[in-house]
Amino acid sequence: MTESALVLRGLVKRFDRVTAVAGVDLDVPTGSFYGLLGPNGAGKTTTLSMAVGLLRPDAGKAWVLGHDVWSDPVVAKGLLGALPDSVRMFDRLTGGELLAYVGLLRGMETGVIETRTAELLDVLGLADAGRTLVVDYSAGMKKKIGLACALLHAPRLLVLDEPFEAVDPVSAALIRDILNRYVAGGGTVIFSSHVMEVVERLCSHVAILAGGEIRTVGTLEEVRQGRPLEDVFVSVVGGRVATGAELSWL
Amino acid sequence: MAVAEATATGQRVKTVHFVRLKLRLMRNGLRGQPWRIALFISGVVVGVGAAVGGFGLFTAAAVTGGRTGLVMTGFAGAGLTLSWLLMPLLFFGVDETIDPARFALLPVRRGVLLRGMLAAAGVGIPSLATAVALLGSVVGTAVRHGPVAGVALVGAVLALLTCVVGSRALTSAFASMLRSRRVRDLAAILLAVLASSIAPLQFAVSSLISHGDLDRAARIAGVLAWTPLGAPYVAAADAADGRWGTALVRLAIAAGSVGALLVWWFGTLESAMIGVAAGARSTNRSGPPVRAVVALFPALLRVLRPGRFSGLVAREWRYWWRDPRRRANLFSVTIAGAVLPAVLRVGPAAEHGGTPLPLAVAFSALMAALVLANQFGLDGTAYALHLLVGVPGRVELRARALGLVLLMVPIQVLVTVAVAVLTGAAAQLPAALGVVVAGVGLSAGASALASVLAPYPFPESTNPFAVSGGTGGLRGLLALAGSLSAAAVLAPLLLFAVLTDGPVAGVVVLLAGLVWGGAGLVIGTHVAGDILDRRGPEILAAVTPRR
Repeated sequence: MTESALVLRGLVKRFDRVTAVAGVDLDVPTGSFYGLLGPNGAGKTTTLSMAVGLLRPDAGKAWVLGHDVWSDPVVAKGLLGALPDSVRMFDRLTGGELLAYVGLLRGMETGVIETRTAELLDVLGLADAGRTLVVDYSAGMKKKIGLACALLHAPRLLVLDEPFEAVDPVSAALIRDILNRYVAGGGTVIFSSHVMEVVERLCSHVAILAGGEIRTVGTLEEVRQGRPLEDVFVSVVGGRVATGAELSWL
Repeated sequence: MAVAEATATGQRVKTVHFVRLKLRLMRNGLRGQPWRIALFISGVVVGVGAAVGGFGLFTAAAVTGGRTGLVMTGFAGAGLTLSWLLMPLLFFGVDETIDPARFALLPVRRGVLLRGMLAAAGVGIPSLATAVALLGSVVGTAVRHGPVAGVALVGAVLALLTCVVGSRALTSAFASMLRSRRVRDLAAILLAVLASSIAPLQFAVSSLISHGDLDRAARIAGVLAWTPLGAPYVAAADAADGRWGTALVRLAIAAGSVGALLVWWFGTLESAMIGVAAGARSTNRSGPPVRAVVALFPALLRVLRPGRFSGLVAREWRYWWRDPRRRANLFSVTIAGAVLPAVLRVGPAAEHGGTPLPLAVAFSALMAALVLANQFGLDGTAYALHLLVGVPGRVELRARALGLVLLMVPIQVLVTVAVAVLTGAAAQLPAALGVVVAGVGLSAGASALASVLAPYPFPESTNPFAVSGGTGGLRGLLALAGSLSAAAVLAPLLLFAVLTDGPVAGVVVLLAGLVWGGAGLVIGTHVAGDILDRRGPEILAAVTPRR
């Protein structure tokens, strides 16, 4: 059995009376392309925030390549790159300045920062933005610069929250290509999404989260069992997909 | 048009073409427009009046000589320069008869263009009136001291250049800045700042007048005489009294500032020309590849070796300027820091020698770092990056404190020195500086503690003055408690500084202040850093705005 890149055990998070995450266990194998699926409010963002050390769990633990995120954060965070959703960046810097800042915080060498920054900005089509501040970027550009920040220090594990949201088709294809190459090179990716098509096309493994619990987990084939992923998702999550006699006035 | 004709006929373009162009444009502007002619004539009348009045004033000042003459010349000169600099910005806007962007496509060499623009800028009623008025000082000096008038002439030319070039540089820089979003954020704040600084200024001037205090006026004139505002005007008076060295230094100050203004103005002219050629996306032009790490560091911080700590400091500096909320905070602290000591010195207790200088500067020093009391709230969810990377708490807090200290201490020191000189308290200066350093350091330490103990969210709005309702105000009280405790720690040093005098005690306070402030900063960030390491995620949650 290969070592897991990310292990979650019994993660629980309650906000006031609402239980957002009710005991999540997950094993993300090294070299896998892992999709975390779930309807809105399923607890995807909460789970991933606890996994990367942004949100303290009420119970449970998280390990990155064997290092506890909460008791051994320095090593774990060095191996990890993350793109959190619904979190601002230091967006009053230009794209280049932001990447340089992240690189310096990560303790990288100036020369390495310069090379990688130039390359990332170029590949992601952000070099033309020049002196524009990130706050003035479009939503898709913000996603891309966020991804660049996560990639800059060449982490072994990427945790991405909704990386394809608000991204135009061309940029989405570019991000898919970058992530595919990253996994082919031995990296591990886990990302959340509610777009079946993307998950079906990219992922080797899938977990479906609903109501704060993992409902189904396994390789893509195990989960699908020959059916379209959307059908599986709907049957696992529940909820109606067709109308009956209502809305007849439409 | 003159310049276009000259280039079309292959004639060499000379400065005189720009002057002719300007005159012709002025004439054409008047043609067939009665109200414009009326306006022009009334402008001429006002100009002649100002020229005659100014001529009389400067002549009288030069003939009077001595201290009274110095005060008259210094104030009149500084007033003249200031009105050249500020009037167009505040009220009139600048005469754009000759728009540099029009020449972008003409084959005119850069040097010729710049000289031409300068000559054209000098053609006009205000410049002529100023020139006539300045002639007064030459005539007056010649009447009383004969050949020294040469110095007066050089001074007058430099003064005129300072006025013309300075007003040009300021307005064109301002105009090109207003095109960017950043400065539009700023404009609103700037207006508020101007409005809030007028009252204290009036107060100061009126108290000066009501005291009828020539001594104080002479001191202020003495300071003005060393700035580009007054230097070219008073050089002749120095030469007349035989202080040739001083006169030369003043002329050098004037010449240096004219040179600097020219460089600045020419720079903005060129960017104005490129701006039109490159179209609307000019602010986004990619230009030559900038090195990202170098770009992150503001010019003054490039001496630092790039690393985690210096990167944090550099980002903080960028943010004090680029984030509208931070900028508003910084401005109000800076203004309060400049006004408060001055008011305390010349205020109610002025009859008894005023508030002791160390006490007068203590309040603003203690307030200086209050802007850090909710530093994580200022960054909002962007702080998540530091959590993801795992920045150690002490490194984080010390870098943030150092960023602010590097900004505030020079400002506060400058204010303290200026207030000390202007209010005749130079003897108390070392002690006051010690109190300033100690106050800033202590309040930075206390603010670091407050920021990790009681962080609260600001709404994610672009309005720098927006505060969230509810608990925000209550938690602000904790920041106040923090600064009160900083004041309590500062009190012994302050007491010692006020009760003692003499140079030795002053130096003792200065050294003790360095230790006091440094210790406050180090201890405060040490304790707060530990808390930050333990409570990072909770602080992130606390500063996340509720949606």
